[in-house]
Amino acid sequence: MSIDLEEPTATASEAPTTLVVTKKPFKMPRLGWIFGTIWLVTLSFCALFAGQLPFIREYSAKVKVNGRAKSYGWGPGWNAWFGTDKSSFDVFARCIYGARVTLLVGVGATALGLFLGGILGILGGYYRGRIDRVTSIFVDCLLALPPLLLALLLIYRLDDLEIQIWFWKVTRPWEITITLGILAIAPLARIVRAQTISLREREFVLAARSLGAKNGRIIFREVLPNVVPTMLTVAFTGLGILIAAEGALAFLGLGVESPQTWGKMINAGRDDLAKAWWATLFPCLFLLLSVVSFNLIGDQMARRFDIREAAI
Amino acid sequence: MRYFLQRFSQFLIVFFLVTFGVMVLMRAGLNAPGDPARTMLGGTASQQQIDTITARYHLDSNILGQYWFWLKGMVWEGDFGYSVQQNLSVVDYMRPTILTTLFLGVYSLVWALIIAVPLAVYQAYKRDSFLDKSGNFFSFFFISVPALVFAPFIIYIFVTKLDWFPRIGEKIYPWDDLGAHFKNFFLPVVVLAVPLSAIFVRLLRADMVATLQSDFITLASAKGVPPGRTLWTHALRNSLFSLLTSVGVNLGGLVGGALIVEQYFNMKGMGFLLVSTILSKDLFVVQSLSAILVATVVLANLGIDLMYAVIDPRIRHARALS
Repeated sequence: MSIDLEEPTATASEAPTTLVVTKKPFKMPRLGWIFGTIWLVTLSFCALFAGQLPFIREYSAKVKVNGRAKSYGWGPGWNAWFGTDKSSFDVFARCIYGARVTLLVGVGATALGLFLGGILGILGGYYRGRIDRVTSIFVDCLLALPPLLLALLLIYRLDDLEIQIWFWKVTRPWEITITLGILAIAPLARIVRAQTISLREREFVLAARSLGAKNGRIIFREVLPNVVPTMLTVAFTGLGILIAAEGALAFLGLGVESPQTWGKMINAGRDDLAKAWWATLFPCLFLLLSVVSFNLIGDQMARRFDIREAAI
Repeated sequence: MRYFLQRFSQFLIVFFLVTFGVMVLMRAGLNAPGDPARTMLGGTASQQQIDTITARYHLDSNILGQYWFWLKGMVWEGDFGYSVQQNLSVVDYMRPTILTTLFLGVYSLVWALIIAVPLAVYQAYKRDSFLDKSGNFFSFFFISVPALVFAPFIIYIFVTKLDWFPRIGEKIYPWDDLGAHFKNFFLPVVVLAVPLSAIFVRLLRADMVATLQSDFITLASAKGVPPGRTLWTHALRNSLFSLLTSVGVNLGGLVGGALIVEQYFNMKGMGFLLVSTILSKDLFVVQSLSAILVATVVLANLGIDLMYAVIDPRIRHARALS
C-alpha cells in the first residue's frame, strides 16, 4: 500500500487562504508608562555619568555668592538650577548624585528579594505539606512587624555587631541592601506561592510528570518560566516601595555614609522649609517621580501579563 | 471551631517566634555575664547595680530562660520590665506613646474608610465616567506617594504658606480640649489617611466592578430591587474581601509609616519610642513594644479572618464542615 503524500498538501494549498484582517483602531500608547521609562533612563544616565556631564556640578563644590559661601545663598535659578542648600552646595548636583546610591541599593535589594522570595514561594507552593507550612510561618513572621521597624532593628544591630565574613566586611550599603532585600521577600514569596499552587494543577505539569520528569525539572522548566512575569511585575512595584524605604531610613539617620542621599537631604532641610523650600522639596520631587515611575512601569507590566492586583 | 483553633495556634507560633527573634537580635553579641544589665545601665554603672538588675530579671540564665521569665512576668504579673535609663517601669514609659499611636492609627483608618468606600462604590457604579477616570488617576498617584515626600509638601502648603495649623503641636488629649486635639492631629492624619484610602479605593473598585457584572446583581435589578439597595447591600457585601485583607496588611504599615509622620510632626508615638530605645539599647522597652505591635497585627488579622465568615455564609459553612 502506497501512501500518497501529495494529496493532503494539495488540498491544503487549494483551500482558500483568505485571512480576514480586522483593522485595529489606533491605540494611544499609555503615556504614563513612557514617562516612567524616560525619567528612569535619564536619571540613571545622569547619575552614572555625573562626573563627565558639563551641566552637573561636583557635589562637593560650594556655589558662592560674590565669592563667599552663604547658607541658602541661591534660590532656584540660572546659577544653581535647584538652588543651594545650608552648606551652599548645589541641590541639583546632589539630587543627581543621590540617585546613584538609591538606585543601586534598590536594585540590589530587589534582586536579593526576588531570589530568596522566589525560592521560598516555589518550594512552598510546589511541595505543599510540611515545607509549605514552614515557609508560610516564616513569611508571616516577616509580615508581623511593621517593615520599617524591622529594617531599623536589623540595621542597628548589624551595625553594632560588625560582621566580617572572611575578607568581606558588611558595610552600611550592604546592610541596607540586605535588610531591604529581606523586606522584599514576604510579598514576593506570597504571590509566587499562590501562582505555583495554581500552576502545579495544570495539564502541562501533569503531562511533564507523566513523561517521567523529575521535580527539579518540572520546577525549572515548567513552573519557573510561568512565574517569572509575575515576579518581575511585583518586583517593579516593590522597587518603588524599597526606594521610598531607603529614603525613610536615610531620613532617620540610617542611610549610607556618603553625604548625598535624598533622604538625608530631606532631613537636613526640613526645619528650614520657610527659609528655603527648594533644599527639601526638590529631593522630595526626585524621590516621588522615581517611585511613581517604577509604579507606572509595574502597572503596565501587570496589564500586559494580566495579573490581578488584589493578589499582590 | 477547629478552623479557628488551627488559625489561632498558627498565630501563637508567629507571635512567639517574632518576639523571641527580637530578643535574640537585641542580645546578640552580649555574651559575657552581666552584659545585658551593663548595656541597659550604661557605662557608669557600678557592679552592685548590675548584679541587682541581673538577679531581678534573671539575666544570668540562658536566652531561652530569659525569654521564659520575661514572658511569664509580662503575662502573669503584668510586669513588662523596667527601663533603667528612665527610672520608670516600662508600662508607665509606654503609656503616653501608645495613646498617641492609637489616636493616629484609629483616626487614619476611619478616615481612609470614610473616603474610600463611597468613592469606590460610586466609581464602580459610574464606570468609565469622567469622575471614575480622574478617581483612578488620583488613587494611582497617591498610592505612589510615600509619607516621606507627602509630609513636607503638606507642611509647606498648610503650615509655612497658609499658616492654618501648628507645626509642632503639644500633645493634647481630647478630654482636655477637643478642638485643639483635632487641629493637632489633622495634618498627620491627612498624610497617613490619603495614601491608605487610595489603596482601598483601587481594591474595592476592582472588586465592585467584577461583582456588578455577576448574575445575581442582574437578577436583583430584574426583580425590581432599587439600584441603591443593590449597590450598597448586595454588591458591596460581596466585594469586601480584598478590602478587609488589605486593612489587615496595612495595619502594621500604619505604625511603620507613622514613624515618619511622627518625626515630621514631632509626635511621640510607639514608633518614635521604639527607634530611640533601639538606639539606647533599652532592652525591655524594645521587647515589650515589639511584642505589643506583633500582638496587635496578629490579632487584627485573626479578627479579619473571622469577619470573612460573618460576611459570607459560604465560607462559614465550608469551615464548619472541615
